[in-house]
Amino acid sequence: MIVFKTYWKILKKNLPLVILYTVLLIGFAASNIKTNEKNLNFVANKPDVLLINDDEGGEITDHLIGYLKEHTELSLSTVPEEDQINDALFYRDINYVIYIPKNYSHDFLERNAPEIKVKSTGDYQASLAEMILSRYLNLATIYQKTAPDPLEFMRALDQTLAQTVEIQMTSPLDVNQLTKATSYYNFASYSILACLIFIVSLILNHFNQQNVRKRRLISQMSDKKHNRFLLLANSLYALTIWFVYVALSFLLVGDIMFSPHGVIYIINALMLTLCATSIAFFIGTLVKNPNAISGIVNVIALGSSFLCGAFVPMEWLPESVLTIAHAIPTFYYIKTNEMLKTLESFHLDALKPFLMNQLILLGFTVLFMIFTQIVSKRDKKNWIIHLIIGTFQ
Amino acid sequence: MIKMHHFNYALKMLLKDKMLIFWTFAFPIILGTFFNLAFSNIENSEKLKVIPIALVQDEELKTNPIFKTAFDALSMPDSEHQLFQTHYTTEKKAKELLAEGEIIGYLQLKNQTPSLTFNTNGINETIFQFVTEEITQKSHVIHQLIEKEMSKQQTLDINPEQIYEDVLALVNEEQVMLTDISSEHLSYTQIEFYTLIAMTCLYGGTLSMIAVNRILANMSAQGKRTAISPTKKQTLLLSHLLACYLVQLLGLALLFLYTRFVLNVDYGNHIGFILLLALIGSFCGLSLGMAVGVLFKTTENVKIGILISVTMLGCFLSGMMGITMKYLVDTRLPLLNQLNPASMITDGFYSLYYYETFERYWANIFHLLLVSIVLIGVSIFCLRRQKYDCI
Repeated sequence: MIVFKTYWKILKKNLPLVILYTVLLIGFAASNIKTNEKNLNFVANKPDVLLINDDEGGEITDHLIGYLKEHTELSLSTVPEEDQINDALFYRDINYVIYIPKNYSHDFLERNAPEIKVKSTGDYQASLAEMILSRYLNLATIYQKTAPDPLEFMRALDQTLAQTVEIQMTSPLDVNQLTKATSYYNFASYSILACLIFIVSLILNHFNQQNVRKRRLISQMSDKKHNRFLLLANSLYALTIWFVYVALSFLLVGDIMFSPHGVIYIINALMLTLCATSIAFFIGTLVKNPNAISGIVNVIALGSSFLCGAFVPMEWLPESVLTIAHAIPTFYYIKTNEMLKTLESFHLDALKPFLMNQLILLGFTVLFMIFTQIVSKRDKKNWIIHLIIGTFQ
Repeated sequence: MIKMHHFNYALKMLLKDKMLIFWTFAFPIILGTFFNLAFSNIENSEKLKVIPIALVQDEELKTNPIFKTAFDALSMPDSEHQLFQTHYTTEKKAKELLAEGEIIGYLQLKNQTPSLTFNTNGINETIFQFVTEEITQKSHVIHQLIEKEMSKQQTLDINPEQIYEDVLALVNEEQVMLTDISSEHLSYTQIEFYTLIAMTCLYGGTLSMIAVNRILANMSAQGKRTAISPTKKQTLLLSHLLACYLVQLLGLALLFLYTRFVLNVDYGNHIGFILLLALIGSFCGLSLGMAVGVLFKTTENVKIGILISVTMLGCFLSGMMGITMKYLVDTRLPLLNQLNPASMITDGFYSLYYYETFERYWANIFHLLLVSIVLIGVSIFCLRRQKYDCI
């Protein structure tokens, strides 16, 4: 049991790092929580629009505001705080800003519609906001030209804008919840890799230090027993990390975790945990300098997270990056999470790609275990030779 | 105050430490490369692209050609206004295409009323819905106006063709006058690279922390020897810190050159201000490392762990793993980012890139200097008069 106890002692010393990576995950998940509402019907995207109104009480402006409230997430302001607006645009908190000038309604009714200044992020949402605004202004101008009475043309405008289309949904999935779960589990890959590789390889490195190995060689404990305890402690640690992150997902993601989708997220995370543990074993055996471990861990954890889509959605990564990512286990883990967003049924044919990804993850796990065995055997042989030579010198 | 040979030895010691060289020179460049690979496509992905859709081609569509005409116009290949790639197909095939993800939805006329079928919610689906609604609404306007014109001209000679032409000309006339006054500098992925610079500045603290450890008698054998030597501790410390600062700036310069000329990161045009921010940011990193070295009575590895954790947490809050976090903290907990050196450095670069005025930049410089002075003050206070009878 001494090996087992020592393992936890070393782990305790490095616990702040485990806490740090967990806090990062919680922070990320918390920043992504926007809504917990279930939604199975079609919901139109609503761009975030800010309207700076310098024409308070104007008939047309008020009517436009009513229309925008229906089709966008509208915020209103009369005093433009330009720095705050610019920040909100840059960080995509709002997509579009509309500046309504003074006397706009009056000028519009006089058939002298002044120009409207806008600010845009230039993305999808901003394009949609511009379409929404342009549609209103176009129709309003047409009616204003044919029916100069404001009440009459606004009534006609309302009638026209009320013309909508029927929408049917074929998928019974709650996409919002699934997207949230996928984002959480994608980011969790970074925390799992960093926590496991750092701690496991650091502890293995401690146990593989010259003095410790020499003492073990002359002790009563056999190598097999020592390795068994080490494996037990590592497995327990890995399963604890997995369990904590899964438990957190129930708290942070919501009801979807109780569905069959949730079960696949959990199994997938377990497979990555196993794979990360075997990578950690390999690094711990290969790297002799304990100071080098944090560098290697950062490069591996951050590298695989950036290249495989843990921080940036996979569909936004360039093709060339995704081609490279095929050689990294995290790619198959994240691919499974992404596929879950659109998985509707759970028959064998639909689950085949998931099973294939799990097999690949298992393959990586076995591969790293084999590598660890090879390096370990080679090291042991060299170490004993050096020890014997050292004894005779 | 500073003796050259002390400075030279300090410099040699730093440059021979492979781990320090990795964290100062190699790691930021590796991370910058990852950023570039991951973010090179992200902003293009968010721009409006051609949306694949289908129209069910049946008798109803033939009798109401307005939808076909409109979607044809919006699906002209190579046109500036192309919004859709439209397939004309049967209902069965449209369902198959939707299930396979080849299209985002399809339109079918049922009793001359448009009906859309989607698989999921999304921005592309919303745009398809929006355009279909707009076609329906324009058709409604045309009918309304024609009816109105016809009723007006009841007593006169009615020329239906002329009325139709006039109404169509009115409806198709470009009416909207919008002037875009957005800034050209809206590339938010730049923030990621600014956090990288911030991280490098703060990782530089590892150098000063190790330098302090070499002087502390309770931390290393070198420290013990230094404590009993006749050399002034103050002189030694200054030489070490200066060497650390130099190595740190060298690492930062390399990263700047790499990100600017290889990764094409835009830092704005105010080179003098950029240099000043880099110098003060590095100084803040140096003082942070010194404070961690002095304040925590623990092993070197734990001190490195603390420093890396503080830096990573600071970078996370300043937007390294998603820029939303920086905005969230800036708007909800502004004090936290005013105390976070990583955020101040990031915000300094952001203000140079995005704003034309310098108030925000100077505020960041002032806060950084304040934090640095406080950290150095605390470190000096704890370092002075440390004497041991026995250790």
